[in-house]
Amino acid sequence: MRTGIGENQKHARFQALCQSLRPDLLRFALWLSRDRSVAEDVVQEALLRAWKAQDALLDEKAAKPWLLTIIRREYARTFERKRVPTVDVDDLIASEEPALAGGEDPDLVELRLAIYRLPLEYREPLVLQVLMGFSTAEIGQQLGLTTAAVLTRLFRARRQLRVLCGEDVSQDPEDDGL
Amino acid sequence: MMDCKHYRAALLADPAAVTAEMRDHGSGCAACAQFTQRIQAFEARLQRAVRLPLPEARDAGRGASVSPLPIAASASGRRVASRTLRWTALAASFIAAISVGGLLWLAVPRSSLAGDVVNHMAEEPEAWRRTTAVVSPAALDAVMQDAHMHLSAATAGLVSYASSCGFRGHQVPHLVVQDPSGPVTVMVLVHESARSPDDFDEQGYRGEILPVPGHGAIAILTRNQRLDAAALDRIALQLRAAIRWTN
Repeated sequence: MRTGIGENQKHARFQALCQSLRPDLLRFALWLSRDRSVAEDVVQEALLRAWKAQDALLDEKAAKPWLLTIIRREYARTFERKRVPTVDVDDLIASEEPALAGGEDPDLVELRLAIYRLPLEYREPLVLQVLMGFSTAEIGQQLGLTTAAVLTRLFRARRQLRVLCGEDVSQDPEDDGL
Repeated sequence: MMDCKHYRAALLADPAAVTAEMRDHGSGCAACAQFTQRIQAFEARLQRAVRLPLPEARDAGRGASVSPLPIAASASGRRVASRTLRWTALAASFIAAISVGGLLWLAVPRSSLAGDVVNHMAEEPEAWRRTTAVVSPAALDAVMQDAHMHLSAATAGLVSYASSCGFRGHQVPHLVVQDPSGPVTVMVLVHESARSPDDFDEQGYRGEILPVPGHGAIAILTRNQRLDAAALDRIALQLRAAIRWTN
C-alpha cells in the first residue's frame, strides 16, 4: 500500500480537524459516561474508527455531528461488550468530585454535580446544546427526536438543574405538557 | 401575542434563540425582563460549567499507547499483518498526534475574536488610565446610541472611558469601568456571535468573551492578573444588566 502526497495531505487535514474538535468531544463523552476512564476509551476508539472511515466524511462542516454520532455509538458499544456495573449516582459523584472541581469556584462545582444528577435523556440534549452549540433541529437529528420533544427535554433539563442548584423557580412555568 | 408562560418556557428551552416575538414580549413585560436576566446569568454559569477541566497528563500518556491489532502468523497472514501493522502504525501516530495536538490546542490562544479584541486594546492605551473621572452622561449616551443601546449609568458602575470604535467593520462601544481592583475594559459586540464563554490570556491581557443571547457577545478584559474569572463575570453581568438594546 503506497500512500501518495495527496493522501498524506488528506490525512494531515483530517488529523488537524480531529485535533481541533477533540477537547469538546472528550468533554461530551465525560458528560455522557460520567466516568473519565470510560470517556477516554470511548473517544480514543471513536477517533480510531473515524480515521479508518474518513473517506465517508464528504463535507468537513459535517465533521462535528459525524464524530459525535461515532462517539455515541461507541459509548453504546461499551455496554454491549461488557457488563458495566450499576453505580449509585452519589458514589459516582463522590469519586468524580475532585476532577469536577479543577480549582474553580464552588458555584461551578455545584452546577456540575447537578448536571451529573440529571437523567441521560435530559443531560445529553443539554450538553449538545450548551457545549457543542447544536441547534434544536440538530439535536433532534442526532437523538432521533422531533424538535418539540427536544425543546421539552431542554426545558425540563434547565428546570431540574435550577431546582437542584437551589435557584428561585417560583417564576418558572410549570411543567404541564409544554 | 406570546404570553408569559410560553415566553419563559421558550427561554428555558433555548436562551440563545430569542425570536422577534419573544423580544417583543420581553421588552413590554417587566416581570419577564427580570426573569430573562436571571436565566441569562444562570446560562452564563452553565456554559462555563459544561467546559469540564480535561485530564491533560493522563490523556497525553494514553494517546501514545494504542494497542496493536492481532497479527496473523501464516504466510498470507504476514501480508495481512504487514498491512495491519502499517495501518496500526498510521492509526497510532494519528491518535498520538491528536492527543498531543489536543494539549497544544488547549495551550494556545485560539479565538481570533479574542485576538482582535486584544489587538484593538493596543491602539487605545489611554483607556487604561486609573482614574476617578467619569464620562459625562451625554458622551456615554452618544457612544451607546451609535450601537442602538442605552446604558443605565446608575447600575453600570464608574465608567471612565467611552468610545465608539471601529471593530470588524462595525461601530461598537468600548467602555472602561473602574473597578476597585483596577480598570476593566468592556466591548459590546452585537455583531459577533458566541455560543459559549471563551477565556483568553494574550499579550498580557486576560479576559473572556461572553455570549449575550440574541445580542451577540460582550468582551471583557483586564491587565490585572489578580482579578479572577468570577470578578470578571460579576462586572460583565453588571454591565449586561445595565444595557438596554433599543433596536
